[in-house]
Amino acid sequence: MSYLSLGKLKKRFKNEVVLDGASLDVERGETVVVFGPSGCGKTVLLRLIAGINEPDSGTVHIAGQEVTYLAPEHRDVGMAFQNFALYPHLSAFDNIASPLSARGVARGEIERRVHEVAGLLKIDHVLHHLPKALSNGQKQRTSLGRALAGNPGVLLLDDPLRNVDAKLRYEMRLELPRVLKAFETTVIYVTQDYKEAMALGDRVAVLMGGGFRQVDRPASIYKDPDGTDVARLFGDPTVNLVPGTIEGGTVTALGARFPLAVSLADGPCQIAIRPESITVTLDEATSAGATPVDLGIGEDTHAVPVELDAVTPLNVRAVMLLRTADGRELLATCSEDEASRLPRGHGRGHAHIRAADLLLFDPAGRRVRPGERQ
Amino acid sequence: MATLTLDSVSKVYKAARGRPVTAVDAVDMRIADGEIIGLLGSSGCGKTSTLRMIAGFEDVTSGHIEVGGRVIDNLLPAERNIAMAFEGYALYPPLRVRDNIGFALLRDRQPRAEVKRQVEEIAELLEIVPALDRYPPTISAGQQQRTSLARALIRKADVFLLDEPMSQLEPQLRAVLRARLKDWLITRRMTTVFVTHDQTEAIALADRIAVMEEGVLQQFASPDELKERPANLFVASFIGEPPMNLFEARVDRSRSGLGLAVLDAGGARAFELRFDAEVAGLADGAAVHLGMRPHRLRLGDRAGAVQGTVTSHSWLGDQTHVGVEIGGTECIVVAEGEVPARLGAPIAVEVPLRAVHLFDADDGRALFHGSEAAS
Repeated sequence: MSYLSLGKLKKRFKNEVVLDGASLDVERGETVVVFGPSGCGKTVLLRLIAGINEPDSGTVHIAGQEVTYLAPEHRDVGMAFQNFALYPHLSAFDNIASPLSARGVARGEIERRVHEVAGLLKIDHVLHHLPKALSNGQKQRTSLGRALAGNPGVLLLDDPLRNVDAKLRYEMRLELPRVLKAFETTVIYVTQDYKEAMALGDRVAVLMGGGFRQVDRPASIYKDPDGTDVARLFGDPTVNLVPGTIEGGTVTALGARFPLAVSLADGPCQIAIRPESITVTLDEATSAGATPVDLGIGEDTHAVPVELDAVTPLNVRAVMLLRTADGRELLATCSEDEASRLPRGHGRGHAHIRAADLLLFDPAGRRVRPGERQ
Repeated sequence: MATLTLDSVSKVYKAARGRPVTAVDAVDMRIADGEIIGLLGSSGCGKTSTLRMIAGFEDVTSGHIEVGGRVIDNLLPAERNIAMAFEGYALYPPLRVRDNIGFALLRDRQPRAEVKRQVEEIAELLEIVPALDRYPPTISAGQQQRTSLARALIRKADVFLLDEPMSQLEPQLRAVLRARLKDWLITRRMTTVFVTHDQTEAIALADRIAVMEEGVLQQFASPDELKERPANLFVASFIGEPPMNLFEARVDRSRSGLGLAVLDAGGARAFELRFDAEVAGLADGAAVHLGMRPHRLRLGDRAGAVQGTVTSHSWLGDQTHVGVEIGGTECIVVAEGEVPARLGAPIAVEVPLRAVHLFDADDGRALFHGSEAAS
């Protein structure tokens, strides 16, 4: 059995079913990010694992032992919260030391552990400060340090970066995987930010509609999502969704006919196309000398005539809003340098799309894979 | 629809005790007809005071504001022909969303059918059609914000003022609604000033951005200019996500070209950079801040690359962010697409001259931009 195992957890509050049979297995030392839209039950799930709430049915196992109805202090679980929850009258050192002191760990050992944690989190220089003298980022690191110092079997992190500013959030997003790996702790990390999910998770568990929609490595979820709803949660700008028709080994969409590498049953479908997999050429630019070949556009692409409506630079990349002849909107991205050559107003051109970059779904939004549809 | 000029505009708040507070300090801006301007800064930088002076909700302490060449400082807000979307939304609770949006047009006695058509067009653009027949208190904060925005956008006015217009957008709608809004403003040649604390939003929408800090206009320039030629260290560190990598460094002119000795936090030499560039005005040994934008750095081992170790690695679908430790300093490199890297593995970072920005160690003003020497 996995180190942490959730079996068909159900939980309702009054008339609202929050969890409706959520199952998840997490290996020892693994970081699994629970990700989903707000209100999907992420925090409730953490509370069931921690023992703050009990499920209506289903089981929680930690290290092979059933703990479903065990009090929080008898489970080997630590938790850090988005509002920090530090003891205001204790220094950062004593806050971090608190789970160790409570267990009666020897003073020397406490010193050693607190400094080890503080070093990794880069707060060794503020350990003697009270929380009110700490910056938000330092408070957040202290709160995290306290959860780590207890060296719990399972560490639960409830959206810990929610209340820190963008810069700190970015730093921690890069730093946390290394810190968590250094402690070899099993981590359940809850977030609403897909970038955090992709950066931090060994695996990402997408929680929607009361259960886990897809549990997989970040790369698999991004490149091979099980549903249009999952696809839409990952990526900025959001993935494009367009209707299409599968017929005789081809799929028709956006007025173009794409060959299918695999055999799928005929019928209507939905198609997801990531903005970064659409390459745009403008007619003016093409006539000025640049050809699709110069831009690395191969023969396996199909050109869809589009009007460029607007260009909105994003960080690192720029977003283009395109409109097809039948009035459908598409979002594509290009590099900052390419964007600086685009017009301020409208332009005419083509969206180049490779058949291999199309993700196919049935009309209800479930992924269509070879052999899965009759 | 008209030009907008701020001529040495200041706002000083008198304090009951103590010294008066200068919220806006002699701000000059000449905004062209149909231009989209972002006022960007952190809270308390003076951006909202500036917007409120243009709208007429705050008096101008000194200086003048002109719309279409006409001084408007002494006009009441209602006499200025300026439309505004408020950060607090300011919707009429007893009116349906539809009537909130069409309020000004109905007041101006435009035909009902025409108002209906326009309201539905802007509601579709901002994805609030399902809320049209509901009342403001019963819709989400995000929908209220878009209602307030819609109400301003369908008016006929000389200038449009938008206070944090899209701060409440859900992530899945953000990119498309920003682009539709920009298209709407450009197509209708609407002179627009919007306030935001979010540099991403400012860069996405604005033709030019006014970066403010402590009441002072730090730089007023296009997004490209702010990225390639930031006027000072404040602008350089405010613009860009992930932010610019910053180091302490010393200029080394002992050999030809431009040399930089990059220092670690303790002031010891961490690594060196050398460029074959003709650079005037940088003295040998001068203390500088070195700034390098993460996506201008490249992973690769060509001549002149600096050697480091991978400290973090995150792939976000369309780009990869790699943290690299070089001689005790840390920097971030952003690469397009998916780039493999293992924690703790050696990695080489190429620093093109274009990536390099130098700022005075004392006052932070820009001394050198690699993009100027490289082109």
